[in-house]
Amino acid sequence: MKERGGTAVVTTDTDPDTRDAEEAEEVEEVGAAADEGSTQTPEPARRWPRVVAAVLVVALLATGGALFAEGRALRDTPATSNRALTDSEATTRVAGDVSNALGKVFSYSPQATGVTKESAKQLLAGKALQQYAALFGQVEKQAADQKLTLTTHVVRAGVTRLTDDSAHLLVFLDQVYERQGKPATTAAAQLSVTAQLRDGHWTVVGITAR
Amino acid sequence: MTTRTKTLTGWAVLLAAVLVCALGGWSYARARGDDSLAYAKHRDVALADGKHRLALLNSLDAKDAGTVDSGLAAWLDSSTGPLHDQLGRTRSKDAKELTTSGATARGKVTDAALTALDERTGTAEMIATVDVEVTPRTGKGGTERKRFEATLARTADGWKVKALTAIPVGSGA
Repeated sequence: MKERGGTAVVTTDTDPDTRDAEEAEEVEEVGAAADEGSTQTPEPARRWPRVVAAVLVVALLATGGALFAEGRALRDTPATSNRALTDSEATTRVAGDVSNALGKVFSYSPQATGVTKESAKQLLAGKALQQYAALFGQVEKQAADQKLTLTTHVVRAGVTRLTDDSAHLLVFLDQVYERQGKPATTAAAQLSVTAQLRDGHWTVVGITAR
Repeated sequence: MTTRTKTLTGWAVLLAAVLVCALGGWSYARARGDDSLAYAKHRDVALADGKHRLALLNSLDAKDAGTVDSGLAAWLDSSTGPLHDQLGRTRSKDAKELTTSGATARGKVTDAALTALDERTGTAEMIATVDVEVTPRTGKGGTERKRFEATLARTADGWKVKALTAIPVGSGA
């Protein structure tokens, strides 16, 4: 359609009187579109509807295509696929779930060692299990010997990336160590956490200490 | 092809072209008017700017008075509002102290996240962890790990740090 329209325009622009027979026929047919049952020889005025239509079609296609491309360029950025903060409900939920999980797996009391182990199994998966063992194994050993109670609070949590089923967060923690008969001490910890949505729950799959 | 079918085809093609154009326009208008798209872009710009500014605010080359002066200028340039005012007030005192101590610091933001973004007022809250590598003039240096909460404000020159708080241990209990 484009080619045809182009031909029609060029022909008319250069010299309408020297067009060849084939083009003449084409033009005639469009002339007929505007006025059915016309004579074999088209008058110059009858060619215009066809030319205008062709130009219009090309212009419309070009405009539509350009607008579409422009729209895509606006939409197709890394910013769009990341729903952190833009979807405030999902952001709050993942921050809450991960904060909860970290609070549970990094808290420990000598009376309830099983609870911590059980929550670690439930709330962590993949690489996070080994990373957790590396971070927490030492504490666990000491805790048993020294009757140490560890309570972890999340101080701040921010979501850097959020898609339908994966998220990356930065979490600030305070860890309170209590030994029997001694004043409690508090330590700061910062973790970069990767989480995945599994069966409707956010599961921690990666932990990096910062 | 008869003249009639050609005519009909012509109209059909024209109609199709109108539809293509309308569809393109609709798609563009939707992308243009998508608030969450604009919000997402502001979020990413704020975070990138915030990280950069925070790294600068944790860095200072204390080789001599000249480098200290340019470092302090970078601090002023990275801050706005209350923090900018405060750094401006203490600038000459800071310059003297830092030149005397001669400890060079290089800050690197290891991770950062926005916790809030208000497009209307042009403010954002950012949390970040920073590794500050300190090299004293004599002796051995070390790396300090710090955690910050920063309030960012949008300026004509990008997002800058308006307030900066090191989150102390025990503040969240």
